[in-house]
Amino acid sequence: MSKTARIPNLGGACAFVLHRPHPTVQTITRQLSAIGLRVTDCWPELPPAVLSADFVFFDVDLGFDEQFPWRPGEAPMPLIALVGSEAPGRIEWALFSHKADAHLMKPVGNSGVYSSLLIARQSFEERKRLAAEIAALEARVAERQTIVRAVAALTRDGEHERGYAQLRSLAMGWQISVEEAARRVVAMADGKDSDEQSRRA
Amino acid sequence: MKRRVEIGILFSRSGNYRLVSEACRTGALTAIADINADPEGRVEFVPVERDPGGNADRYAAGCAEILRDSSARHIVGCVTSWSRKEAIPMLERDGGTLWYACPYEGFEANDHVVYMHACPNQQLVPLFAHVVPRFGVNGFLLGSNYIWGWETNRVARDLIADAGGEVRGERYLPLGETDVSRLIEEIRATRPDFVLNNLIGLSSYAFLKAYAELGREDAHFLPQRCPVVSCNLTECELPAIGEAGRGHLSAGPYFHDPAADGAGKHMPASSFEASAYASVRVLADILAGDPDMRWSELPSAFAGRTFATPFGATTIDPQTQHATLPVVIGEIDGMGFRTISRQEAVAPDPYLSRYDRARVFAQPRLRVVP
Repeated sequence: MSKTARIPNLGGACAFVLHRPHPTVQTITRQLSAIGLRVTDCWPELPPAVLSADFVFFDVDLGFDEQFPWRPGEAPMPLIALVGSEAPGRIEWALFSHKADAHLMKPVGNSGVYSSLLIARQSFEERKRLAAEIAALEARVAERQTIVRAVAALTRDGEHERGYAQLRSLAMGWQISVEEAARRVVAMADGKDSDEQSRRA
Repeated sequence: MKRRVEIGILFSRSGNYRLVSEACRTGALTAIADINADPEGRVEFVPVERDPGGNADRYAAGCAEILRDSSARHIVGCVTSWSRKEAIPMLERDGGTLWYACPYEGFEANDHVVYMHACPNQQLVPLFAHVVPRFGVNGFLLGSNYIWGWETNRVARDLIADAGGEVRGERYLPLGETDVSRLIEEIRATRPDFVLNNLIGLSSYAFLKAYAELGREDAHFLPQRCPVVSCNLTECELPAIGEAGRGHLSAGPYFHDPAADGAGKHMPASSFEASAYASVRVLADILAGDPDMRWSELPSAFAGRTFATPFGATTIDPQTQHATLPVVIGEIDGMGFRTISRQEAVAPDPYLSRYDRARVFAQPRLRVVP
């Protein structure tokens, strides 16, 4: 049987609800407590302890950037937007600027919180995974020039293919990536150049 | 002077899970009769009944009718999770409360529902904790094709994985389907250690009969080697199953003990009957204080109180509105169950947020080799 992702156990997780005192907060708190989360509500600011939270619910109607102890879009946990007025500017703020991972419409009903937690967690993890993958790929792309220089340094008699093959076998021997090996080769070549230059000087 | 209070009754009197539904209805009506006969009681219940006829689409209408045409704000009813989910929007709209007397798959805590039967930490989890060390870890999962089977089997898959086992197969039949020959062949071929049966009604009876036949052909499939285990099988369905059920296991909050029936006193015949009885009993206790109590006041009415029900001293968690219940594992013995194990007062955990695999399956899943 294929292994599928498992519904996470949310017992003991911690959620902050950033909303002015309102029945909405009680409705959300009741559902979160029933699911087994610890809940802290706060307004107008998120306290320092929020950095250890597993989820943050935030009000879109009256929210503003300074409430968050992180730059817009860089929350270290999944965010769930509490949308009352569907004013496009507010949705833009929640979605594009703060990158909410899920949303709940106000007034919040007797259900909806559980699926918002699961959806937010899933899309947050996916976003984090993609960001890490993109960063790794960008780093590799940025090393293209280093590879070209390393191959040039290893090439004798104009045989670039043998230079590249040698780079790959060095990488294998050192048990590191081709990019990392290229950096070492370039550093060694640069060192030799500067030695020669200093001898000439 | 007793106050007359209308109370909704929403159970199907026909259809393929009729036996369960009738058991619930009997429990509710018996409790109403007992409460009305009690000279000390403060309320007299007047049942307002609708019969959805086993059709899931008629529960919402039945619920809406009760709330519209009578003063009843509390309804005892629904058997399948499908029908409960159909009724909920009506309850939310008109301010009603459903007293739900059947085991269900968990992951719900609606404040318009009081959950009076077991959720997974009170049936499936302890059932697996019992079965895995005795019979083995590889299961075959069966269900009727709707939410109870899907969700219960989803939790079962996770439990089997945690115990280090393998799901040998997972199959669903349409509600009411009685052709089980393919299931039987698949079970014969995959030789699991146990079969989790979430089929309901006629499908379940047909399966158990065919499985007994399989056991006669191949001793691996006798209940002492590879039992069929359930979280919703009770005495009320045994007449439809007959001898084919003998030796198989079920978990629930209550099994009928004939020895407990005293002179003139008859204990409920199954956990469905007991749960519906308990629902009406708790409701009477609460309404004795305030006959007009609304759904939003229930959590404070449950807080700190204990109610005398057929389950014993019962509390209801104000946060989730689920009952604290005993967990009994029973083995089918003729037309009743023999108690194999019993735990008292297991608090509800509908989202399995306190589930700890190391505690449920004491055997570690992976051993460190020194």
